[in-house]
Amino acid sequence: MDKNSSTHERFIQTAKSGKILANKCKNCGKVMLETMYYCSGCSKSDFEFVEFPGIGTVVTHTIQSVAPEGFEDINSYAWVVFKLRDAPFSASGFLPGIKAPADLPIGSTVKVKGYDAKHGLTLEKQGD
Amino acid sequence: MVNNVCVLGAGSTKYGKLSQSIIELGLDAAKGAIDSAGITPKDIQAGYISNVFGVADKQVHMAPVLMSNLGIPHIPGLTIESACGSGSVMFREAYANVAAGFYDCVLAVGVEKVTHTGTTLSTTLFSYCSDFFYEGGNGASFPGLFASIARAYLTKYKATEEDLAYVAIKNHENGLLNPKAHIRKSITVDDVMNSPVVASPLKVYDCCPFSDGASAVILCTEEFAKKVGNNYVKVIGSGRGGSPAAVQSREDITTIPSTIIAANQAYKMAGVTPKDIDFAEVHDCFTIAEIIDIEDLGFFKKGTGGMAAREGITKRTGEIPINPSGGLKSKGHPIGATGIGQVVEVFEQFTGEAGDRSVKDAEIALTHNFGATGASAAVHIFQKA
Repeated sequence: MDKNSSTHERFIQTAKSGKILANKCKNCGKVMLETMYYCSGCSKSDFEFVEFPGIGTVVTHTIQSVAPEGFEDINSYAWVVFKLRDAPFSASGFLPGIKAPADLPIGSTVKVKGYDAKHGLTLEKQGD
Repeated sequence: MVNNVCVLGAGSTKYGKLSQSIIELGLDAAKGAIDSAGITPKDIQAGYISNVFGVADKQVHMAPVLMSNLGIPHIPGLTIESACGSGSVMFREAYANVAAGFYDCVLAVGVEKVTHTGTTLSTTLFSYCSDFFYEGGNGASFPGLFASIARAYLTKYKATEEDLAYVAIKNHENGLLNPKAHIRKSITVDDVMNSPVVASPLKVYDCCPFSDGASAVILCTEEFAKKVGNNYVKVIGSGRGGSPAAVQSREDITTIPSTIIAANQAYKMAGVTPKDIDFAEVHDCFTIAEIIDIEDLGFFKKGTGGMAAREGITKRTGEIPINPSGGLKSKGHPIGATGIGQVVEVFEQFTGEAGDRSVKDAEIALTHNFGATGASAAVHIFQKA
């Protein structure tokens, strides 16, 4: 991973391979999202990169009838917060094709599909 | 702290879809506050403005423009942005400067004008108040973010969508008594439950409207207020707090840490507890927000706020009246003005100007206002002088 690229760019490039990039603090060992500049535990800024599989369970979600600009082209989608299976934190993303809450019960498994320039971190539902 | 601080005057435009420019709205509210205080612009030593989307009405750098049109171009002005919490965050800075002895008398104006941009652009602009890389950039609107919080709350505490509806019904009843409220309409459970879904599980009547409007107050030292001789309200507690900006980064999505931090500071400073509060104006941008607020502020145990409105405990004549003004839900939510509008309500309640919506025998009140999904928050406590 190129340490000289921007934090967002590194996160995006990792997401394109279906993974979530994190920072592990070399001082206290806390693991957090890669966009953090200082450790939220000990305030040190010496990290090593850790990649986690982008698989997790749905913590909460919503399906919106009025979408912000850039999302009007999608007929129906859910914005999802999901707890990563192997990481001590949650992430959130865009899951197309969800028309009703019953389509995505809390606890459903979702997977990072990639990162779309227009729609951000893109998810797919698992287990259908 | 050098000085005890008071609110000496308050003014507000109507909230709603308004035709005036953002500057005209700010000036109308400012004049109302100056006249109410019984002072002249020349008594004002600094001007504080809160605003988020001035650019949408082709005006930023708003403080000097407002001060110039008040005939006091040489006093220092400052414009503060903290999303939907801008007003209370700005109030805190104005308060701190008077308390510290920098000024004896300042003007605080909150103002917003956004309805002319239309629903889609307003929705988009508001999404910029989120942690955009993780939220707005992935398609989350503000109703969507609070809907995700609502779903987590309803799931965890087995509360119902009808519990949410009773918050809307109660605040609409209060708003009916407020001539400056944006939406003055009585609603029923069926009205709420049958209204179109905005972001599941939130429906139209669970959501505050996009509003234009402005509110203003005069803050001063108690010594200055006594010299003027008009009615005033004492500021006895002030607290500020923060939360992880993104919902995904919170350990518990059903609570807002910034509210708890700010409230604890304000209670400690005022020397009071939640039981001492006679009424509160809280940030009910969505019905779920009021339920979480009244728990985080210590009025109800976690997980029990959902029954408060349903059982009438938070109605204007209830045990702990919440949002007698109608709240953001009915009074409206011009986001730069909202935090100051809450202080205007307290001022009117304590100076006998609240008319039919007066809370009986109230002596101590609390205001609570946050930015975005609670990434920033401020709590203030007031006492009738």
